[in-house]
Amino acid sequence: MSHEYVPEIAVDREGKEHEVQGWQDDTYGGKLGFWLFMFTEVMMFGAMFLILTYYFSLHHQDFINASASLNRVLGGVNTVVLLFSALTMGLGLLKMRSGDVKGAKLMIWATILLAIVFLGIKAVEWTAEYQHGVFLGLEALQAGNEFSKPFGEILFFGMYFTMTGLHGFHIIIGIGIMLWLLKRINAGKVTPHHHILHFNIALYWDLVHLIWVFVFPYFYMIGAGDIAGVVNGH
Amino acid sequence: MDTNTNVNYKSEYAGYWKVLVGLLVLTAVTFVQPGMFLTDYTFAAQLIIGAIKAWMILMYYMHLKGEKLIGAMGVFSLFLVAVFFIIVIIDVNNFQFGDVSHITSPAK
Repeated sequence: MSHEYVPEIAVDREGKEHEVQGWQDDTYGGKLGFWLFMFTEVMMFGAMFLILTYYFSLHHQDFINASASLNRVLGGVNTVVLLFSALTMGLGLLKMRSGDVKGAKLMIWATILLAIVFLGIKAVEWTAEYQHGVFLGLEALQAGNEFSKPFGEILFFGMYFTMTGLHGFHIIIGIGIMLWLLKRINAGKVTPHHHILHFNIALYWDLVHLIWVFVFPYFYMIGAGDIAGVVNGH
Repeated sequence: MDTNTNVNYKSEYAGYWKVLVGLLVLTAVTFVQPGMFLTDYTFAAQLIIGAIKAWMILMYYMHLKGEKLIGAMGVFSLFLVAVFFIIVIIDVNNFQFGDVSHITSPAK
């Protein structure tokens, strides 16, 4: 049985019919499709945040104690780093839209640099936690031995490493797609008149930032009881 | 057809910086809040500050202002998460194997 070619027809404002050759210039469709993908991310992280809230209600004091042991200074610096990276990404898109391709590329490189700084700080933080014996798989985070932390703290750190790890993975993916974006710009595939890819990657980066906006208070700030604690971190 | 729209560069550029200043101020508030105000309600206060920051990012950095369809989809996706979460809470609260669970506290 052969498949007959059936053309897709679009109708313009005057009611004239045209055969569709491609959807590459469908800006709104491209934006809507990417938002659909981002909603799956929202649901994934949203579920994690809800679980975290539920565990917090069950093990209130353990969560506060565990949170107090995190380094809020490093977490805070990373918050500011991500804030500026969202700015550079947004300004890059603005420059692209206004025709300044060179400026746009410069802003994307600045965003990549800030993303690497974020990962570097995260690595320092995780290393310090590992050296303190707090890491996935270590005895302190496994129930039923003499080094075990209280049950609520085990849950807290389990969620902490899972969520910050998943967030870090999104940062790495973000660096990858920004490098790909630069390649597409250099190839002339993304231009001031056709920048939907740039727009969507900027949206992705803002989502990564948005997730951190909640990761930071959930993990780092719930145990901050006084100014001294906030300033000193550990 | 192209994806370009009229760009008011100066106005949008200034907008990005204004939002950044707002977010930085709110980040500073996040830091000082536990020692300054609503000290007995740190978790709630932190989430409210986070929600304000999220709203600013969504509206201005993610260009959601005026996007009713996408906004409605966002609310629906959060609703779906809430439905699943309520089912999980009911399930966990009626868990039969609490003694051997890694979810509920053994002491509970």
